[in-house]
Amino acid sequence: MKLTIKNWTGVATWRWVANDDNCGICRMPFDGCCPDCKLPGDDCPLVWGQCSHCFHMHCIVKWLQSQPVNQQCPMCRQPWKFNNK
Amino acid sequence: MNNQNLDLKSAWITIKEAFPILESPSKIPDNDFDSAPFEAISIIKRLNLTQQIQDLVIIKIEERLRKEIVPDFWSHFKKTENEAAVFHEFYSVVKFLFHNYVQLDLIINKLILLREASNFTKPVYNQTCLHEALKLIVRAVLLSQLPIDHEWMIVNFYETALKMQDPEEENSTSGECVVCMQEEFSCSCREMFEETNKKLGKMTLLEPLVGQALTDLIYSYIQTHIQKICKDNFDNSHIESLEKWLQTVVISWLKKIYFHNSAVKAMDEFDKKLINYLYNTYTKIRIDQLFNIIIEYPDSLPALDDLRLCLPKTDLKPHLTRSLQKAIETRLLHPGVSTFDVLTAYVATIRSLRILDPCGLLLETITQPVHQYLRSREDTIRCVVGSLTEEGPNDLAEELVRGEAVQVDENISVDEGVEDWETWTPDPVDVVPSKSSGLPRTSDIISMLVNVYGSKELFVNEYRTLLADRLLSQYSCDTEKEIRYLELLKLRFGDSQLHFCEVMLKDIADSKRINQHIQQDLSYSDDDIPMSAMILSAQFWPAFKDEKLELHEKLVKQMESYTGAFETLKGSRTLCWKNHLGIVDLEIELADRTLNLSVSPVHATILMHFQDQNTWSLEALSKVMHVPSTILRRKLSFWQSHGIITEPEPDVFYLQEEQENNENNIQDDIVVEDFESESAMASAQDQREEELQTFWSYILGMLMNLDTLPLERIHQMLKMFAFQGPTIECNLQELKVFLDRKVREHQLIYSNGLYRLPK
Repeated sequence: MKLTIKNWTGVATWRWVANDDNCGICRMPFDGCCPDCKLPGDDCPLVWGQCSHCFHMHCIVKWLQSQPVNQQCPMCRQPWKFNNK
Repeated sequence: MNNQNLDLKSAWITIKEAFPILESPSKIPDNDFDSAPFEAISIIKRLNLTQQIQDLVIIKIEERLRKEIVPDFWSHFKKTENEAAVFHEFYSVVKFLFHNYVQLDLIINKLILLREASNFTKPVYNQTCLHEALKLIVRAVLLSQLPIDHEWMIVNFYETALKMQDPEEENSTSGECVVCMQEEFSCSCREMFEETNKKLGKMTLLEPLVGQALTDLIYSYIQTHIQKICKDNFDNSHIESLEKWLQTVVISWLKKIYFHNSAVKAMDEFDKKLINYLYNTYTKIRIDQLFNIIIEYPDSLPALDDLRLCLPKTDLKPHLTRSLQKAIETRLLHPGVSTFDVLTAYVATIRSLRILDPCGLLLETITQPVHQYLRSREDTIRCVVGSLTEEGPNDLAEELVRGEAVQVDENISVDEGVEDWETWTPDPVDVVPSKSSGLPRTSDIISMLVNVYGSKELFVNEYRTLLADRLLSQYSCDTEKEIRYLELLKLRFGDSQLHFCEVMLKDIADSKRINQHIQQDLSYSDDDIPMSAMILSAQFWPAFKDEKLELHEKLVKQMESYTGAFETLKGSRTLCWKNHLGIVDLEIELADRTLNLSVSPVHATILMHFQDQNTWSLEALSKVMHVPSTILRRKLSFWQSHGIITEPEPDVFYLQEEQENNENNIQDDIVVEDFESESAMASAQDQREEELQTFWSYILGMLMNLDTLPLERIHQMLKMFAFQGPTIECNLQELKVFLDRKVREHQLIYSNGLYRLPK
């Protein structure tokens, strides 16, 4: 028997490679989106801080804007720096 | 004295000559009106005997009527078979009666002369006119001897006459009279009929003798006519033609009969009665047919319009409600009718009743049992959602396109449209006050269907599951069409409810793009196994059925490389494959034939293993594939049915290159599993349980802190802390079922109405 696979359509779910399941700010799953967004994934990306904590980008930006003086990570209170890995 | 005696004797003779009836009741002069009995009158006047003579004559007349004429008249009213004979019999018998009546009337004439001469005005039987008195006497005597079955002949007579008159039944081709079977021009039946009526009219016997029979006859005639017209025919309006028919055929015929009767006023009233009867009968017949009319909507629109016009004229609304409810119960709401048919009928009912009763009250009463029934069927929502999005002409899909926001009863505002207050009509009087609670009754079909369950969520969830199924089972899904439906549904159910579905559709569109990207990626090659993927946002899809499956290593490698390509395309993201989902296009070259098939990954994996190794035992294969052997056997039977794999010994499967000529070898009895019909989604019930499971930790926490709690308290606390997500909610009943299950599983203890944790 010669078996030729002409096409294999698989089904997969995508997920963020992060060290947590939920965003520490909005408590929504990373694989979902922040409360302001409708579409997950590209439209509501994650960002990592140098402290290795990660959040929905929209959430952390909102947080940083509400903290005019010391911009700290809401999880570990270290100064927040984006980790552009 | 003697002289006077003689005088009296001769006077009596003279009087007897004038009134021969005094001698013997049967003695009637042939025609002696000319010889006016002036002599007798003067004698009577002289002797002052006017009253005595008059009374005597009347008594004799009565006697003659009672003993001779009337018995003779009634004796002809016997049942015979021959209709034509009956017609003539009645004619001659009336003629006979009339003849006698005229003779008696002659005597009355003489009496009148006598009364005039002697200035005697005392009324007889309260009648100042003796002619009227005679009529009264004739009537009284006739009716006093009424035989039991006298109506039969009268009805027969008029029935025959009616046939003669009826334009439809007239034998116009043969030109024969229906009564005497003679050529029409030589037939005198019509004249006979008119003569009879005239005579009866003159004796004022028409109403007392014939009236009742005639009314019955006309009623049944109308009834048969309407029944004939309305039989299984709903696509024509009949009201106008019926009314016209009543006027031209029935009433004009009646007028002909009553022409000689003075009571024209009575005729007018009879007219009204007949029209009312017509409406009543028509409405009743239509009400009896209403269920069929509804089923045939919109072809039956004319019939519905008729009914709408008739209902206010008759008093049959309660009858309609009852009979329709009964019809629905006996014909629709039983297990023999498929849910889809129930829904179709339900939609037709809503639409038809909207025409009949715009205020929607009738609708509410009628559809109440249907609601209850639909709620008891499990597949209702699936059916509704299915037909909402089904292709082709479909009632519900049409309704969807009409687009109106779904109103769920609990949150409609009470302010009825103030702008159209002028068109406001009060509820009919038969409303149960509690029902007319000021809520605007909606007649939007989709809203009503949603209200069957009282919440949009169930519908939206079901739609989501169906959509997911469709997307995952077709793989070449027409997303444009789905997007169109989604937009339509959004108009109904609101954006937020359908947000998940939007993401799902976007996932499919994105997957196509990602696939293209990855194909162009130079570092990725899929020469061996062409690969594409559906990449889903797990949070937004309904839960997937969890099946374990270990794919063939070749494929695992391929998938890994695909994942790698994805990871480079989308930074910091990776893929989790659902191995058991998907579709595989295969070309199988066997020694004697080539098969092209689209199968599920499980089936493909089985064949891939058989490609490496011709023989597998069930156990070994099960171990390699991580699939329970029972399920694996089911999957193997698919290939057995194609004649590719055989099972010569129990639990050992062989690859079969050549199909044996002997066709019988293909085991017909193997159940071929139609894998496409299987839903990829977890069933609603599983999902629900999963949802409730999320509360378990809350409940554990509560009981740990507070020791014991009643059901209501748990529910309350959950409401406060846990029911915050938009989709998750749980009523007391569900919670109880959930907790009871936990009790059965020994994770909880229930006593005295309180739950607590086992120590």
